[in-house]
Amino acid sequence: MKDKNLDELKKKYLETPIPSQLDFVVKKALQESRAAAAKKKRFNRARIAAASIAAALVILIVGVNTSPAFAQTLSKVPVVGSIVRVITLREYKVNEGQYMADIKVPEIQGMENKTLENSLNEKYLAENKELYEQFMAEMKAMEEKGGGHKGVSSSYEVKTDNDTIFSVCRSILTIEGSSNTELKYDTIDKKKQVLISLPSLFKDDSYVDVISNNIISQMREEMKSDEGKIYWLDDQVEDVPIEPFEQISKDQNFYINTEGKLVISFNKYDIAPGCMGTPEFVIPTEVISDLLVGDEYVR
Amino acid sequence: MSNPKKGELRAHMNKGSLEEQIADYIVANQDNHYRLAYSYVKNVDDALDIVQDSIYKAISAKDSLKDSSYLKTWFYRILINSALDFLRKHKKIVVIDEETMSGLDSGTIDKYQNLDLQRALDELPDYYRSIIVLRYFEDLKIKEVAEILDVNINTVKTHLYKALKTLRIQMQDED
Repeated sequence: MKDKNLDELKKKYLETPIPSQLDFVVKKALQESRAAAAKKKRFNRARIAAASIAAALVILIVGVNTSPAFAQTLSKVPVVGSIVRVITLREYKVNEGQYMADIKVPEIQGMENKTLENSLNEKYLAENKELYEQFMAEMKAMEEKGGGHKGVSSSYEVKTDNDTIFSVCRSILTIEGSSNTELKYDTIDKKKQVLISLPSLFKDDSYVDVISNNIISQMREEMKSDEGKIYWLDDQVEDVPIEPFEQISKDQNFYINTEGKLVISFNKYDIAPGCMGTPEFVIPTEVISDLLVGDEYVR
Repeated sequence: MSNPKKGELRAHMNKGSLEEQIADYIVANQDNHYRLAYSYVKNVDDALDIVQDSIYKAISAKDSLKDSSYLKTWFYRILINSALDFLRKHKKIVVIDEETMSGLDSGTIDKYQNLDLQRALDELPDYYRSIIVLRYFEDLKIKEVAEILDVNINTVKTHLYKALKTLRIQMQDED
């Protein structure tokens, strides 16, 4: 099938100019939709949990009426739900063709410890302000050099919100050629109204080695069962100029999930190629139980 | 997989999960997807919206893709449906001002000799235009066009012939 007219139409079709924002739009849509898909999976699990709570309530009512011991146990269960929450304080948006930014500043509300609340919120504001100013400065520099492409998007997600724990994750996506994702977490004890750090969970520093070894064996396990997965371990990077993963840092990114398990999180490219995204590892509690200060948070 | 060489390493990275394959495919072919979206809406922002919507739909409906060998036709189908949805929601009236009109009218030499043909293509009903675009501009096989538009192969052939006839383009044997 060859026709001069059709060829000319095709030529025109293929000459459709590709806007510079396309790259950003595609990467952002992919990141957001994949995060939403992962969240939906969690949500489905949460619904099952909610159903079992409803079932448990029925048993509780029967229990209180029938057993004094049961009623006593029950009085220790905090009934009042948490009111700590996070909202979007403000949003900075820039849409200048090749330069796009969407920066959401979170704000924590409802904490009794106002000093902590304020210090967290000030940190969020300062961080995002810096991100915005840096973006504007880089945009100007690029423009002076004759133009370029840049995209920045920052957002947040509540990872855990139960009686004790409130974990919020902030993520920064930067796109300049390839994309990079940086995650930061804050985990708050709602009862004591304090910020939980990774070292504060453990008796001493030995957790670094124990957790690192566990992560390494999880990585090997995953790579064995799924050929598509790859982590930068010493035997994987022999021919590649990349530092292998050896151990986590003392204040490695972490959060405590709804099941009370410690989750260690890594930024994109830290321990694996970009296609692995931002890997995280749930540390089985029995591995670290001897090292934990208590079983208040991690169970 | 101890000691993988660089090439093997890359091959491993490419395999990944189905979602990973979809994501890789979307990034690798984003220009094609954009052009196709643009051919429907003729507007940069709307075309970007359609590409974005299609990505959301594809990721959230990834389970509907049973076999990754259908990835391309599966995504094109989502993309075209998004574009058609968009057109339905924003029924547009094409306004041409007088200057442009007289420009079209004039007998002066124009580098777009095929303006009439381009207009004829643009005026084709969406379904027929989709067939032309997919078959000749995106170079898809008749079988793939049939999968995307969810009709059988013979129907595509008949409709392709009809579309070309409307454009008064001579068609040779299609197989």
